[in-house]
Amino acid sequence: MDYKFALALSLPLAIGLAAIGSGFGLGRAVGQAMEAIGRQPEAAAKIQVAMIIGSAFIEALTIYALVAFFILMGKIG
Amino acid sequence: MGLEFITRIIRTTAVFALIVALYLTMYYSGKVALGFLIGVAWSLTNLYFIKGMVTELITPNETRKDVAVVLGFIKFPVLYVGGYLIVASGYFSIYSLLAGFSLIFPIALLKVLGRVILRMDVFGFEKKHAEGAH
Repeated sequence: MDYKFALALSLPLAIGLAAIGSGFGLGRAVGQAMEAIGRQPEAAAKIQVAMIIGSAFIEALTIYALVAFFILMGKIG
Repeated sequence: MGLEFITRIIRTTAVFALIVALYLTMYYSGKVALGFLIGVAWSLTNLYFIKGMVTELITPNETRKDVAVVLGFIKFPVLYVGGYLIVASGYFSIYSLLAGFSLIFPIALLKVLGRVILRMDVFGFEKKHAEGAH
């Protein structure tokens, strides 16, 4: 098995795993934020700030995976 | 500290990015600096849309679904396709774009860390907690 074959096999799996992880993380974050706001509506603004920063960080990981995907796709040829 | 914390992160990142871009122009090239600035702009726009969507959808008040849909439509297809086209064009160094994209994260972390070290209330939870304790 040459490296191009290995890349072609592993890249879609890797990006899929990154998307699943990110989706799971964001889903949990949103769910917990909704629950927290429901329990304490007066703290909504503070929960939103934590939620926004957390979402940006989670999303960034997927974008890194996507960029790595594009870089490595170029190596397949 | 409420939602203005996000605005302050965006402002600080933009100012810091301009300073770093000057250095990059001086020591590397204008193309690297431009790639860096585009990465920063993309990242800041993304954060702005995340802020808009979170404040419109995850709120105890009435949600404005139409605004959220417009923001989501601009963020997901338009911003992401724009990002893809920038990366796929190959004109800018991928590392300069990624450096620009990542700049906001250390700045957000350092701003939060600074508030923790200075014993300032990071998200406004401590005051509430103390009030609840008494």
